[in-house]
Amino acid sequence: MTCRDTENLLELERKGEIPPGEQQALTRHLAACRRCGETAKVARLSSVLLGTLRQEIVPGPSFYARLRERLAAAGSAQPDSTLLHAWGFARRLIPAVALGVLVLAGVTISLEGPSMPRQVQGAHSREIYAFSLEEVNLTGSVERPNQDQMLAFVLMQGQARGAGSGE
Amino acid sequence: MNDNDKEKGLEPAREQRDEAAQEEARLIRQAQDGNQRAFEALVRLHERLVFGIIGSFLRRRQDVEDLAQEVFLKAYLAIGRFRSGAPFAPWLHRIAVNTCYDHLRGIRRRPEIGIADLAESEADFLDRYVKKGYLSGGGEADDRLAARDLAERILATLPPKDRLAITLREVNGFEIAQIAGSLGCSRAAAKVRLFRARRAMQAALRRLIRQDEHDE
Repeated sequence: MTCRDTENLLELERKGEIPPGEQQALTRHLAACRRCGETAKVARLSSVLLGTLRQEIVPGPSFYARLRERLAAAGSAQPDSTLLHAWGFARRLIPAVALGVLVLAGVTISLEGPSMPRQVQGAHSREIYAFSLEEVNLTGSVERPNQDQMLAFVLMQGQARGAGSGE
Repeated sequence: MNDNDKEKGLEPAREQRDEAAQEEARLIRQAQDGNQRAFEALVRLHERLVFGIIGSFLRRRQDVEDLAQEVFLKAYLAIGRFRSGAPFAPWLHRIAVNTCYDHLRGIRRRPEIGIADLAESEADFLDRYVKKGYLSGGGEADDRLAARDLAERILATLPPKDRLAITLREVNGFEIAQIAGSLGCSRAAAKVRLFRARRAMQAALRRLIRQDEHDE
């Protein structure tokens, strides 16, 4: 028997599966080899220690009464199973609904076409086109429009609305 | 005994097993519909193993019962998502192991231990074991208690998953596949954890034994 066999035989011994002949050979080897003797001592102690962690505990007399209370409390706090099923079904529909919204938005935009800029009289009697008040202030400028420009924009919007409703 | 006799002998056992499986499936369906009595019946069927798993990590009965309550409550809340036809026991064990894992993660890991860190009873136990190589006859209960203290002290130095792996294997007799399923890792990873845990435990014991022998 060699030192290399010791570990396997110790494992078999731990499981109680070591053949008697092998057990004797192991005992002889452990007595002769100091290193293997120490390995065996540690492996056996490890098994002994782990074996003490095994314990048979059965539920005490109040265990099930307490569990029943907790289950009842949890059961009443849980949402209705019908609602859960409905929510599950609704969740599966979310991607389809999102796709539908996107398609609808695309169709709407393609039918209406891009929004047209409005014509505005600028501060220096210049005609300008704008989508919003900020754009009234014209090229290259990021300042807020002055009072005249704002008034002109509002008036133009009013005129445009009036023309639209008159049609 | 001829083949017919053998079959006759096996038949009742198989029938019993099938009946038990059908009964369990019926209880699961009822529990999924919110029947608490059916769920309690399921708990009673599996209490022994769940208590066994938790009992290998916690010692005090009250602590074991508290954690078992957590396990069964989690199972009750999740049973609606349990796939019918799937084996119930491994599912419940996974919940038990995960609950133990959460508990172990909450405990601070101890650093490497030396002989000076041991309680007197643990040091005595170790000394006796080193000299005689077995547990003493007279004070067996005390020795067992000291041995459990020492085991817990050493295991507390391991990472929680390694500790779970070695305890599930050596104490609860789980197969590698069961450990892997419970820890949510591959079989290879479970083997590595088990190997590492065994090595760490043996290294700690070797260190303690050498220190004990050195102090003589």
